[in-house]
Amino acid sequence: MQNAPQESSHATGRSNRRRLKDRVQPIHLTVALIIVVGVALAIGNPNFLSMYNLDTIISFGAILLVAALGQMFAILIGGIDLSVGGTISLVSVMFVLLVHKIGVWAFPICLATGLLLGYVNGLILTRVKIPSFIATLGTGGIITSLAYLVSPRPLSAALDDYGYFQIVDGTIFGVSKTFVIGLVVFVLIWAFLRFTTTGRNIYFVGSNIKMSWMSGTDIALNRNIAFMISGGCAAIVGIMISSIRYGGDPVVGSSYVLSSVAAVVVGGTALTGGTGGVLNVLSGTLFLSLLDNGMNVVGVDQYFQQALLGFMIILGVAVTFDRTKTPIIK
Amino acid sequence: MTTTDTNTDSVVLSMRGITRRFPGVTALNNVEIDVRKNEILGLLGENGAGKSVLTKIMIGIHQPDEGHITLDGQEIAPKGTIEAIKKGIGAVFQEGSLIPNLSVTENLFLCHEQGFLRHGLLSKRQMASEARRLMAIMKLSLDIDQPVSMLSPAAKQMVEIARVLWLSEKYGATNPIVILDEPTTVLNDGERETLFSILKDLKTRASIIFISHRLQEVLENCDRIVVLKDGENVTQMPAAGLQVADVEQLLVGHEFSGDRFRENEQAAPGDKVVLKIDRMSKAGAFEPLSFSVREGEIVSLIGLVGSGKEELCRCITGLEKYSSGSLTINDRSPQIGSARAAVLSGIGHVPVERREEGLALNMSVADNINHLVLDKLKKGGVINGGMEKDHARRWVAECLVKTPSINAACSGLSGGNQQKIILSKWLSSDVRLLILDHPTRGIDIGAKDEVYRLIRKFAKSGIAMIIMCDTLEEDIGLANRLLVMRDRQLVAELDAPPGRKPGPQDLIKLII
Repeated sequence: MQNAPQESSHATGRSNRRRLKDRVQPIHLTVALIIVVGVALAIGNPNFLSMYNLDTIISFGAILLVAALGQMFAILIGGIDLSVGGTISLVSVMFVLLVHKIGVWAFPICLATGLLLGYVNGLILTRVKIPSFIATLGTGGIITSLAYLVSPRPLSAALDDYGYFQIVDGTIFGVSKTFVIGLVVFVLIWAFLRFTTTGRNIYFVGSNIKMSWMSGTDIALNRNIAFMISGGCAAIVGIMISSIRYGGDPVVGSSYVLSSVAAVVVGGTALTGGTGGVLNVLSGTLFLSLLDNGMNVVGVDQYFQQALLGFMIILGVAVTFDRTKTPIIK
Repeated sequence: MTTTDTNTDSVVLSMRGITRRFPGVTALNNVEIDVRKNEILGLLGENGAGKSVLTKIMIGIHQPDEGHITLDGQEIAPKGTIEAIKKGIGAVFQEGSLIPNLSVTENLFLCHEQGFLRHGLLSKRQMASEARRLMAIMKLSLDIDQPVSMLSPAAKQMVEIARVLWLSEKYGATNPIVILDEPTTVLNDGERETLFSILKDLKTRASIIFISHRLQEVLENCDRIVVLKDGENVTQMPAAGLQVADVEQLLVGHEFSGDRFRENEQAAPGDKVVLKIDRMSKAGAFEPLSFSVREGEIVSLIGLVGSGKEELCRCITGLEKYSSGSLTINDRSPQIGSARAAVLSGIGHVPVERREEGLALNMSVADNINHLVLDKLKKGGVINGGMEKDHARRWVAECLVKTPSINAACSGLSGGNQQKIILSKWLSSDVRLLILDHPTRGIDIGAKDEVYRLIRKFAKSGIAMIIMCDTLEEDIGLANRLLVMRDRQLVAELDAPPGRKPGPQDLIKLII
């Protein structure tokens, strides 16, 4: 049957048709929410604006930011990385042990582990051709088991090793070091996306993989790189957490799967891939950090917080999901 | 429009003044059609003439912007196929709508099994006996329990026709109308004969609309014909006494206006051979064929659906693997079946599905234009924003792309402008051979001309092109040379120099 000319009804070049609804982007909503929540918390509890509290928000927020930035790569390219929790947990216990045995070399080896695990995820996706949702669900479980293998119980740092942990824990020039690390990672990733061909191609592959394939883009390479960055960021998060707690724990990463995805999605990066960026992730992270802090300050029940997080994800996805890509939602 | 038959007593379905527009193009303009009781009506027209839009309006998938539909004297406006089938109007499409892993019985009654419920459960026995009854009426001997995937295409079609008839009967439609879209392309000669004898039998119980490109069989088996061209009626007349040549004339019309395709800009190709295909074949798709394309040459590939031309293009662009033979582009032989290898060797592809395959819709105009040349827009190893903007602006100006800004998302642009962006993308890259798949489909006249201008520009700069167009006139007008495919073989090569172009009638003979 011959195809009739088909174009959606909004494919006109007339810009005066774009109503307010089209011009407001998800990120505007997130920023608005941040302001609303921030003001509400400030009014509700004077402690909220104390230096100590704000410092807490920023320090912990920075850790979530790094995890979310890594997750962003997997989502931008049209997939998702559910193994970050496992990698964070594994690295947190590995770090404590390695620092004890080989000192400062623990840093590069842990980072390399994250990159390697990310590469494995990429391979499963591109060679074995299993969707990232399933692949990373599987690898996440395996990696978490490895973490338990390395240390079935929380592991405390040896007193002699404290120096290494203080590389990340503490302040530098009056600002918390985790904040600085978060900032550095943010800038590096922003630059990567803005200035490199690979960064741009990750958007293309996420936006329209068929077109990218037909245009000669090396899809396998870009996917591998995206997942490697996700793994690398997860490793950095593992090191950060381990350092500020002066110990590792095989369960420490599990909550980061949900929260990294939430931070990405709430900020306006669509799960369908190809849109969004570092600013979106930043606003999503900020919002979640405020919410998290606020709920703790107010004294909200832990389980209710989990429920709220889940609700935020559904809301965020509903607003940003590109329904033209999947006419039938499974 | 000429109507040479005014017997209106037996009209079942009457459509008057049907107009349907899509953004940028009017698909149907004031179309009129009558379907009579117990007749086989042939619906003819080139690609893009409006046949499928008209069919979709009949079965309720589209609603006309203007016009009326009258069935058995009552005005109807079906919204969706369920409403249409309840009125007795159903279609059987080329690609088939059966569920392959379900049995014949299950497919026949799919979604309409309410009548077979006994105490809330489906009575398989009743369904089976009803299915057997239908098979007897259609004079088919099939195993009704086997999955439909095991049937031949001919048998599948029969099952679909049976379903339409059963549904009409079930909902009490007195004069069912069965629309058959290109039923014979998948059939061999024997099956075709069987289909026609069944249709003759069916005529007594229903009206049939028969859509086909095969003029000979339309004239032999239809009582009347309707010819559409460019969304408008050309004629409604009895088939008796018509020759194929008469119909060909009607199909392509008399206007073959000189420079619609900028033939005065058509230049002779260079001497260097860019693409050489040597005895390439693909099992089940096309037989061994050879041809070459030179620098700056526009080669038009023509043939019906099923002639093998689409598969040939997919093999050249690396989207499919070919079984034997070789392909050389500028003395390189890219890996078989890899689109990436093809692009790296200099083969580009402007796909027919612009939105799905040609652009990253949510990304900006600039991003899409610069997609292939990002490595060249760098300073000091990093992508330079200024160079990106300049490059995009240059092409937007060159190709007259209408966009509010180079940062606007491509999704908001019209089809013509989207196509120009895709062409800019390839023009700015190192492509040496570009395959253009229906480059002006769904684009308005003004933008079409701009696309032709770009195509001529490509050619002048030495880029070779293989094109497949929506109409024969476009193929002939644009090409330096025409390659004709029929029934999976390359059957002819014709030159088409400006001023001495072959006429569409000459080609239709070769295609069919």
